[in-house]
Amino acid sequence: MAEKKKATTKKSESKKVAPVKQEVKKQAAAPAAAVGQTTKQDARIGVFICHCGTNIAGSMDIPAVQEYAKTVPNVAFVDNYKYMCSMPGQAVISKAIKDNKLTGVVVAACSPRLHEPTFRTATKEAGLNPFRFEMANIREQNSWVHMHDWEGSTDKAKDAIRIAVAKAALLQDLFPKSVPVEKAAMVVGAGVAGMQAALDLDAAGIKTYLVESTPSIGGRMSQLDKTFPTLDCSQCILTPKMVDVGRAKNIELMTYSEVDAVEGYIGNFDVTVRKKARGVLTPAEAEARGIVGGGCNGCGDCEAVCPVVKPNDFEVGMKPRKAIYINHPQVVPLIYTIDFNSCIKCGLCVTACGPEKKAIDLESKDEFVKVKVGTAILATGFDIFPVEKKEEWGYKRYENVITSLEFERLICASGPTGGHLVRPSDGETPKRVAFVLCAGSRDNTGVGKPYCSRFCCMYSLKHAHQIIEKIPGCTPYIFYMDIRSFGKMYEEFYYRIQDEGAKFIRGRVANILEDPKTKNLHVHADDTLLDRPVDMDVDLVVLAAAVQPMADTNRTRKLFGVSCSMDGWLLEAHPKLNPCGTTTAGVFLAGVCQGPKDIPDTVASAEGAASAASIPIHKGEVELEPYFATCIEEKCAGCGMCVNLCPYSALSLVEKEGRQVMQVTEAKCKGCGTCGGFCPGGAIWMNHFATPQIVAQIDAFLLGGEQ
Amino acid sequence: MVRTKGYPEALEKKLHDQRYYREDSNPDFTKNVKAISRTIAHMCYQCGTCTGSCPSAPRSTYRIRKFMRRAVLGLENEALTDPDLWLCTTCYSCTDRCPRDIAPTDVIMAMRNLAFKRDIIPVNFLKTVQSIYKTGHGVPNNDVNRAAREKLGLTRDPPTTHMYPEYIPGIQKIIDHYKLKANADRIVKEREG
Repeated sequence: MAEKKKATTKKSESKKVAPVKQEVKKQAAAPAAAVGQTTKQDARIGVFICHCGTNIAGSMDIPAVQEYAKTVPNVAFVDNYKYMCSMPGQAVISKAIKDNKLTGVVVAACSPRLHEPTFRTATKEAGLNPFRFEMANIREQNSWVHMHDWEGSTDKAKDAIRIAVAKAALLQDLFPKSVPVEKAAMVVGAGVAGMQAALDLDAAGIKTYLVESTPSIGGRMSQLDKTFPTLDCSQCILTPKMVDVGRAKNIELMTYSEVDAVEGYIGNFDVTVRKKARGVLTPAEAEARGIVGGGCNGCGDCEAVCPVVKPNDFEVGMKPRKAIYINHPQVVPLIYTIDFNSCIKCGLCVTACGPEKKAIDLESKDEFVKVKVGTAILATGFDIFPVEKKEEWGYKRYENVITSLEFERLICASGPTGGHLVRPSDGETPKRVAFVLCAGSRDNTGVGKPYCSRFCCMYSLKHAHQIIEKIPGCTPYIFYMDIRSFGKMYEEFYYRIQDEGAKFIRGRVANILEDPKTKNLHVHADDTLLDRPVDMDVDLVVLAAAVQPMADTNRTRKLFGVSCSMDGWLLEAHPKLNPCGTTTAGVFLAGVCQGPKDIPDTVASAEGAASAASIPIHKGEVELEPYFATCIEEKCAGCGMCVNLCPYSALSLVEKEGRQVMQVTEAKCKGCGTCGGFCPGGAIWMNHFATPQIVAQIDAFLLGGEQ
Repeated sequence: MVRTKGYPEALEKKLHDQRYYREDSNPDFTKNVKAISRTIAHMCYQCGTCTGSCPSAPRSTYRIRKFMRRAVLGLENEALTDPDLWLCTTCYSCTDRCPRDIAPTDVIMAMRNLAFKRDIIPVNFLKTVQSIYKTGHGVPNNDVNRAAREKLGLTRDPPTTHMYPEYIPGIQKIIDHYKLKANADRIVKEREG
């Protein structure tokens, strides 16, 4: 019986495998792929089964899997080990490769996303080409999901190993290509994260394009009054950085600009930036137009004569601005901007600006600028959750219910009230202020956000301190569920604020009612520690609203091919071990766009991203996975259908030996397989995912080991 | 677990051990409450939004949050024997606002179901059952109401079983199917003789 089986195996091999051999040998165009070609007959595969402690061994019969693996065709060696990824585990692999003259390695363990690089290195160290390694995932896709199905997971592991061996027997030597890296980087978003990342890149000598969609850099942090727990003035610590960014010789500031298109890959991104029509020329732009000594100097003469009044977004709409405006006196760059959605083009500003400066151009249009960068950092930041959606708290219905960002502007000396906290309804100074924590955070109703916004506890403590300090006799009531004072000196800050007289009420606010006459507010909650409901009569309510990604984040992330998690925050490559990286090589994340962070964490994340983004640039070249498509020229009919299908413009038709054949630009090819799957003549060979390799895997699965 | 110290009765009552012990928790209680209420009763994080929203809480000892806590911990006896269980008006304000998307009202209803299985129920609830059985109404119409309705230009009786008493047998059939009336009569008799 066994002999018969063997015979059929051989027979089918000669039928199926022979053409494969031919194909590969004919690959004159891709000599790398032909090197070290093994046929299935002389393949000697080693199978190494990992216990992963009890992660795998606790859910399946490892000895049974091992015994089975020995019976799989082409398997020359089988072993198991408690932790295959450990140094001794890797040594087992290396030794077996040498001792048994293995031609391929299969490790049955975790996900290739975790340890493929580890085992490739082990394979390489034993003298075998690293691409002769294949991984069988028996953890994430098996033991973890079938934790309580001993027999089922054992059988599935056998299948996985058989399939992996089938492919490993046909694997070829591959050699990664290196491509040069453009010595420039792009940072998208110029809040504190983007600024810090750009400053670090500048300090590392890397040309950096800092793209910001609003007219000024500074972001959310520039809207804040003070910062916890040190109580430094936010602007005082931020403006030096803003000025540094403005002066840094390697930073090219692109304010009032947005990323419009991204092409290319790590080392060679071609980014198109849309410079929105600003209507005002910088001195440099004026000079380029031949207006020597002209351009905007920030004098503000234009603003004085502009007849159009609009709400100032920087002041959360609590202060007016003109159609030609700067948001606040400390903007960088100090260049005015025309809001063309409200400008009536009366021309008064042009007259006021005068013939020397000639800074205003009412006919200016969006411009598109193309830049080439090696790496990019996204630092797109956050917005406030529209807390009026939680109707029970009455935001936008009751005048004296405000958000914490509005509170920041009201308490800030440069804000709309000069730093005097007032009730919006009557301008009176509040004497009792309620702070509603988790306003839209930790909310599973689908209206709010399921996550903790992380910095609301601490800034609300800071707000409590500020009103105690500024308004004698004013009592803050902080309605909280948990005070999450997790950072350095944060718990001490909590102690201090309680000592200063803030009253903490442990209960989430159920609803708020307004006294229509006085516009005072009744805050209803359960004092869970006293086990009694509360009706707190206060003058002002501050909602510590949840945060969410900026509205434009989704568009930007798609341009850079970055994923997002369920809640919309951008997805890091690994939540613990690669928090700044993304699954797109060469694109990194900084600050809150990856998830809520306070300022220290944001700056740390930005420095991490800058460091990560500078590594490929300093190395000067990056290795690309050699998974590109190759053309088998003998088979190529030169129809060119693949050329248009390629999403990365990596294919073209060239003339060779008097006829048209397809040619692959390997650096552009991502190995997606679109062309290989389509080619009607079977003339495209996908390295490492070749048709015969995949067919062998499918056969191994469907035929249950028979060939 | 011995919880008495052998003090004289009065002192024992005053100083009785109020702690709860592991064996006070019945995990099946949490499961049963979840199954009957069809809400994630074990997910409460005790923020108090429910009690803060509760119209009963300010004027009674009823604390919905406490019942949620008992559901989480499986404190069956404590939950079912607490007379406050019957103070919920089932207005659903807590369910509207619960940030964990739990329906505390339905948890209370589930606990009342489980309590009734142990004959724990206030007599007034049973009298409501008897009233519905008899008239189709928990609060039947009365002469004051009839006069008020007449004044408003309405019929003296509303278009319910009051106007169509021929539907009362149908209601009785449903109530009898669950032996609700029989149980109500039995318990009322036991309590009031």
